[in-house]
Amino acid sequence: MTKELEHSFVKELETNQNIVHKICRLYTNNSHAHNDLFQEITIQLWKAYPKFRGDSKFSTWMYRVALNTAITLYRKSKRTVATQDFEAVSFKISSIDYDDTVEEQLKLMYSAVKSLNDIDKALVFLYLEDKSYREISETLGISEVNSRVKMNRIKGKLRTVLNP
Amino acid sequence: MDNLDLLKQKWQSVEQELPKLSYADIHKMLLKKSSSIVKWIFLISICELLFWTILAFFVPESSKTINESMGLKTTFIIVNILHYAIFTIFIYLFYKNYRSIKVTDTIKDLMGSILNTRKTVKNFVIYNVSASILLLIGVNLFYYTKKDQLYTLMVENYEGYGAIPKESFTSVFFISQIIFGVLLVGLILLFYRVIYGILLKRLKHNYTELGKMET
Repeated sequence: MTKELEHSFVKELETNQNIVHKICRLYTNNSHAHNDLFQEITIQLWKAYPKFRGDSKFSTWMYRVALNTAITLYRKSKRTVATQDFEAVSFKISSIDYDDTVEEQLKLMYSAVKSLNDIDKALVFLYLEDKSYREISETLGISEVNSRVKMNRIKGKLRTVLNP
Repeated sequence: MDNLDLLKQKWQSVEQELPKLSYADIHKMLLKKSSSIVKWIFLISICELLFWTILAFFVPESSKTINESMGLKTTFIIVNILHYAIFTIFIYLFYKNYRSIKVTDTIKDLMGSILNTRKTVKNFVIYNVSASILLLIGVNLFYYTKKDQLYTLMVENYEGYGAIPKESFTSVFFISQIIFGVLLVGLILLFYRVIYGILLKRLKHNYTELGKMET
C-alpha cells in the first residue's frame, strides 16, 4: 500500500515538476537554494499526499502546498539572499519571432517580478500560470475582488519599474 | 500590450531552462528530513514548556523549609494547584493550535495558525514570568513584615548568613532578591527577541502584507 502510494506520488511529481521548479526559481537566487527548496516542497507534498483525495487536480493541489512552503515554511538562509548566481532566466524564443528587444523586455520583466515581495510574487506567479481570480483568491485566502484589485496595482507598479 | 501580459504569453510556450529531475532523484528526496519553520517552532515550544515545568522542581529543599516555617505552606499548595490547572490549559491549547497547522490551507490561514501556535507559547511564558514576579514580590513583602523571624531561620539554614550582622541583613537579602529577579527577566526577554525575531520576522511581514490586501 505504502509502496503503491509512493509510486503514484513520485510519478505525479515527476510529471508536474516544472511547477515546483518555477516556484523555486522565483523564490531563490542560486542553484543550491533552489534544490533545497525543491527538497522541502517535495517533503511537504509527500506528507500531505495521503490526504489528497483527488477532488481537485494534482497540479492544483500542488500549487497551494508548494507556495505555502516557499512563502511560509521554508527558512531562507542568509546566503540565499546575498548571492545571485542565476542569470535572471533565459527565454528561448523560437527563430521566427526572435527579437532582441522582446527577449530583453522579458528578462527585465522577469527580474522585476522577482524583486516583488513574497505575497505579490505568488499572485503574479498564479496569474502567469493562467489561474482564474477565483483560484488565486482560494490559494491566497483573500477575496476574489481584492485579488483582482491587488493584481491591477502590481501591474501598475511593474509598469513604473520598467518605464521610470 | 502590457509587458506582464507579454511575459504571460511566453510563460508557458517558451522553454525556460529548468532542471529535470528523474524518478530516482525525487524518490530519494522522500527519505530526507524536513527542516521547515513549523518543525523548529514546535521543537522550541516543547523545550520552553519543559523548561518551565522542570524549573518548578528545582526549588532547593532549604528554601521549602524556610517557606514552611514562615507559615506559607497552605498558600504554596493553593498556588501550585492553580499553576498546574493553568498549565494544563496551555498544553491543551498548544496541542490544538499545532494540530490546526495544515500545509494544504490557504496561505493566509496557514500563516494564521502558525502565528496562533506561537502566541499560545508566548502567552505561556508571559504568564510564567509575571506569575514568578508577582510571587517573588508577594513573598518578599511578606518576609519583610517578618524579617526578624526570617533572619533567625536564614542563619539556621544557610551557614553564610551567620557572618552577616543583623542590621545589614535586610538590605543584603532583599537587594540580592531584586537583582536575581531583574536578571532572570532580562535573560528571558533577550532569548525571545533573538530566537523568534529570527524565525518569525518574514512570516509576520508576509502576514501583514496579506492583511493589507483586505483593507
